[in-house]
Amino acid sequence: MCLGIESTAHTFGASLVDSDDRIVTNVNSTYRPPVGAGIHPRKASEHLATVAHSIVKTALSTKDGSSIDPDVIAYAAGPGLGPCLRIGATVGRALSSFLKKPLVPVHHGVAHLDIAMSIAKARDPLAVLVSGGHTSILVHVGRRWRVYGETQDITLGNLLDMFAREAKLPSPGGLSVSRQAMKGENLIKLPYTVKGNDVAYSGLLTAAATLLRRQGNLADLCFSLQETAFAMLSEAVERSLVQTRRSEVLLAGGVAASSRLREMIGSVAEDHGASFHPVPVEYSGDCGAQIACSGRLAFNSGITISTSDSYVIPRWRMDEVDVPWIPRT
Amino acid sequence: MDTSNLASTLLHRGAEADLSLATLGPWRVVIKRRVKKKYRNPSLDEQISHDRTISEASRIHEAKTGGARVPSIVGIDMENNAIVMTHLEGIVARECLDDMDSNEARKLLRSIGEQIGLLHTAGIVHGDLTTSNVIVSPSGAPFIVDFGMSRRSVEAEDRGVDLHLLQRSIIASHRQNPSSMMNSMNRGYENTTGKKVASSTWRKAREIARRGRYFAIR
Repeated sequence: MCLGIESTAHTFGASLVDSDDRIVTNVNSTYRPPVGAGIHPRKASEHLATVAHSIVKTALSTKDGSSIDPDVIAYAAGPGLGPCLRIGATVGRALSSFLKKPLVPVHHGVAHLDIAMSIAKARDPLAVLVSGGHTSILVHVGRRWRVYGETQDITLGNLLDMFAREAKLPSPGGLSVSRQAMKGENLIKLPYTVKGNDVAYSGLLTAAATLLRRQGNLADLCFSLQETAFAMLSEAVERSLVQTRRSEVLLAGGVAASSRLREMIGSVAEDHGASFHPVPVEYSGDCGAQIACSGRLAFNSGITISTSDSYVIPRWRMDEVDVPWIPRT
Repeated sequence: MDTSNLASTLLHRGAEADLSLATLGPWRVVIKRRVKKKYRNPSLDEQISHDRTISEASRIHEAKTGGARVPSIVGIDMENNAIVMTHLEGIVARECLDDMDSNEARKLLRSIGEQIGLLHTAGIVHGDLTTSNVIVSPSGAPFIVDFGMSRRSVEAEDRGVDLHLLQRSIIASHRQNPSSMMNSMNRGYENTTGKKVASSTWRKAREIARRGRYFAIR
């Protein structure tokens, strides 16, 4: 039984995953910034510290009220906001030394892919990771994920959140934008920037925000922003898929909850004869289960860390982590 | 010209276009026809296909004028977003690089570097440089193809993107030592662009790599 602790940004989560890769418990609490504002790292970390105790306690309880002792403690070591990461790491270290169980550092982005692969049953896919922290197209070669394409500036989650903030729409931004987009009809011309397998979203954000301030129609702008941003990513994914010739396409991360994006990436996969494996919506956003899932796999590959070395790593690229458990069996 | 009635056989399904082979007078030609993308909003799709067809044909022609080894443009079909160009014999570099010994591979990379340098000297950036977009002729000479993402630019930033993309494709797709392969490429590049342009491009390429998410200087 592996306990996973997530606290990279706005969510504190704790989850148990058993030795058959089944999610036994998954308890999460998310800090929501006020409308018009972004995540304040200190305020988010205060929220995480406040809820940590009850979340972990609930995650370790069975339905009849007895508590479960985990065999392994996994914590999200990075990447993320420093003050937030330190909350989860502190909880992880405390539990590990108190229960005398091994501690496993987990890369939050790798974990997004691991839980998606576990549930959506992918073996060796072209992975598309879209969230507030990542917008990357990856393939696994040797022992590591390799970045085949990524954003050159802000992430897709950033883009949607920041536009939602400008438009005074509530968090999560992606959901608010997609609700507005359903009412939009007219496609407004916005910058479409694909550089090889990379995308760049900052020009798109600036253009959309400028039109908004000039009293542009909000629904049409949300519709156009979403169509343009998702089409850019889909094109980069299609290009990468043709080049890497993978037979599976995985879609993971918070923005994977978007039904329009699922439809578009799914269509790219279908056009090239690849199977499509989107993460189920309930496990797309940050959660304890992703850390537990990835931590279990890492522990089985012999990865542990001593308490004294259990630093947090706020900047940590996907291609800097050894991930020997892929292709999955 | 109208390509819709030209008898052709499908050669390759690329990411954004279908390539098919046809005979036109004395030439063996390749027709590159941009296909409609179901995932893209129809008006956005038509606009992108139209713009890229014109730009691609123009850039290929300019590259040719600049002395680079590229296909020759035979005609364009605006109704069908298609470009007709001469067919090139050979194999894709992605297919043959891993089978070469390191001397051969270095020689090819150097020659590819020279071609990229010629494009950049002519004020063209390719925009999608990978080993899949290089065709090696039977005599071993590399041809650069697929100018679908190319643009006119004399900015170090845009040249840097080209080299960055090529480097990443080498790291992700090939088993040879990436830094030794890139060194050979760079020597060829410097031959055709000169030291000054080469070093400014490289500086940018390294900077672009660092822009990727969570890149930390350790």
